[in-house]
Amino acid sequence: MIPHSALFNKPEDREFVADPAKAPTVDYHDAIFELEKEGEWEVQRVPEPWVEEKNKFGRVKKIPVEKTWHHKSCGQCGHIPGYSTSVFWLNRKLGFDYNDPTDQTSCTAWNYYASATSNAAAQAAVAMRNFSAAAETGYFPIIHCATSFGHYKETRAQLIHHPELRRQVRDILAKLGKKFVMPEEIVHYSEWVYAIRDRISEHQVIDMSHLVATVHPACHYHKLIGEDAVYSDEIYGAQRSAIITGMLQALGIDVRDYSTWHDCCGFGFRHILVSRDFSRSFAVQRKIEVMKEEADPDVLITHDTGCLTTLDQSQFAARAHDKNVGLPVMSDSQFAALALGAHPYKVLQLHWHSTDSKPLLEKLGIDHEKAWSEFESAVERLKKGEKQFLTWEDCE
Amino acid sequence: MSALPILVIGGGSAGMEAARGIADIGYKVVLVEKHSSLGGMPVQANYAALTPNFQDAGEAMAGMAARIADNEFVDVRTDSMVINATGSVGNFEVTVKNGAGEEKLSVGAAIIATGFQHFDPGRETQQYGYYEYDDVLTLVDLEKMLKAGEVLTPSTGEPPKRLCFIQCVGSRDRQIGNEYCSKVCCGVAAKESIEVRKLVPDCKVFIFYIDMRMYGYWESEIYWPSQEKYNVNYVKGIATQVIRKGSRLLVRGEDTTMGRPMEVEMDMVILSVGMEPSEGTKDMAATFGIKLNKYKFIETTEGCLNTVTTSVDGVFACGASTGPADIEDSISSASAAAMKAIAAVRKAEMAAG
Repeated sequence: MIPHSALFNKPEDREFVADPAKAPTVDYHDAIFELEKEGEWEVQRVPEPWVEEKNKFGRVKKIPVEKTWHHKSCGQCGHIPGYSTSVFWLNRKLGFDYNDPTDQTSCTAWNYYASATSNAAAQAAVAMRNFSAAAETGYFPIIHCATSFGHYKETRAQLIHHPELRRQVRDILAKLGKKFVMPEEIVHYSEWVYAIRDRISEHQVIDMSHLVATVHPACHYHKLIGEDAVYSDEIYGAQRSAIITGMLQALGIDVRDYSTWHDCCGFGFRHILVSRDFSRSFAVQRKIEVMKEEADPDVLITHDTGCLTTLDQSQFAARAHDKNVGLPVMSDSQFAALALGAHPYKVLQLHWHSTDSKPLLEKLGIDHEKAWSEFESAVERLKKGEKQFLTWEDCE
Repeated sequence: MSALPILVIGGGSAGMEAARGIADIGYKVVLVEKHSSLGGMPVQANYAALTPNFQDAGEAMAGMAARIADNEFVDVRTDSMVINATGSVGNFEVTVKNGAGEEKLSVGAAIIATGFQHFDPGRETQQYGYYEYDDVLTLVDLEKMLKAGEVLTPSTGEPPKRLCFIQCVGSRDRQIGNEYCSKVCCGVAAKESIEVRKLVPDCKVFIFYIDMRMYGYWESEIYWPSQEKYNVNYVKGIATQVIRKGSRLLVRGEDTTMGRPMEVEMDMVILSVGMEPSEGTKDMAATFGIKLNKYKFIETTEGCLNTVTTSVDGVFACGASTGPADIEDSISSASAAAMKAIAAVRKAEMAAG
């Protein structure tokens, strides 16, 4: 029996409610609309239908459902193509109108965070050039990479606070023949996955209720301009971002906590470039082994390019050292697509991953041998020159 | 003497001292307090003892309240709020609202003593787990325990064997915008560490700090005694995260003296939360049209040479409404505000002939 005096911290006393009125920062929405009134730029509105979510300080963040312009990730397209393919597959599966542009510019944020950057005006010009390209199509930008997302939010803050930077960037865009357009929200694709979680679960065809998952949140998602990340009172009492966790729970999965949840995946930008052994060791010893020991998950779900590649590929060498590894790693988009019946190789393209997903697929009742055979048959058609690449028809 | 009273808003230590000072000189005072009793944060938040001399906080505030309660020059209005103000020095008209309705009062000058609020570790610095783990508390929560005379680990009801304080939570933090030092947290943590050691002699107590800021006599009154007499362990380093480990808490961070990461188990973790401007301070600034500084405390006009004069003639501020302040600061600035308010009223009267 706990003495009454020890219980003065009653749960109701400890319930945190994010109150926008107590936010320590100026609402970026107010700032960007004020600048629009002053004629500094145009603000591209979030198209309807949108879903209302709450950010860290309880302010509303509008997440578009359709009419999205997909700002892709260099690392995803290069190393884990099933990541972005799954985003598009989900759009198609749910009947959403979207735009997969071919004229996007790389964000340059990797160099920025690896301390090999150019200058503020050049970087902001890239961001605004992409936003302008999106606005020209009438579709709303949605950012696949957490680093681009975080970087663009920092760029937005710089542009809001520095008139000289706005002038410089506006001049650059004028030379490109582009309008100076700031989107009403800067949206990460995983916010979209989270916002449509109920629609995803409505279309779920694979029972996942017997699965245990762990989540790795991307630092560049919730630590850069952290106030703009999405939170929920229902998930960790609004003390941690709700992204990924909320979607997995909607699929009926047991999401388990572990003690290094807040830690970096190991990627670290400079580390992966100049001290890769450190990244590998960190990913294995501070993330994978801790999860395995504390939560014993079937799968690890994350939502960023660097995180996925580091957590997935770092397990390869660790096997030679008898480390407690062997945990499949997927993006939330891949996993949601899998739940809706997407092909594990044609859509998710799990063969690009280093870790072995077959035990997980077996646990889900998915015949991976049959799936691989189907994929090989499709590849044979490419070899014979029947097609140049697989299309959505091949993925049905 | 002026026919118009001087308005004091806020019934904490600063407001009560300002009211007493004005009344002692023979001017009338209307003291408006939104809560049902005087005493301010030490009473509202159930402080046990004041820093640094361990005086019972309730008794100390009751003593201050008693000195003005029966004073014929002081009109105390509890459960009341100022909701509007017009006019200028020598003749402000303010609207005071309470359960009975609204009343307009004419006052010659106003002193704002609306204080601070404690930083909420749920808004930022969530990695300390205040809302996730029952055994992570704040200085304020521990004060309540100390007042009850019992320090018990909330999750088990057992006395803690290892307890630590984490300093500068919500203060000296550029990341969240509170760049300032809250001044009192180091002293309060040292004071509470001594109280914990007295109540639970078997408990090992640690304080993780960036710098210990022990102003004036606090150095000899609480800092050294906490180490030399009560064996409190001070560890220079920044704790970055608190997580659950079995039935205990694991504090992670960096021991900067040793130059290495640290992971230490604790039964209880106390977050030394700093000060932020209270809602009352921000509301009164808006009501009187007073300029705030970048941290939303009331800005005074001449820096260190004038700590109570605001941007509006005839309106003064004292205590923690102008920035982090201990009770010593608050009492001192309250007296200064009382003197300047009277001077402002006198000047206005003389100018009016």
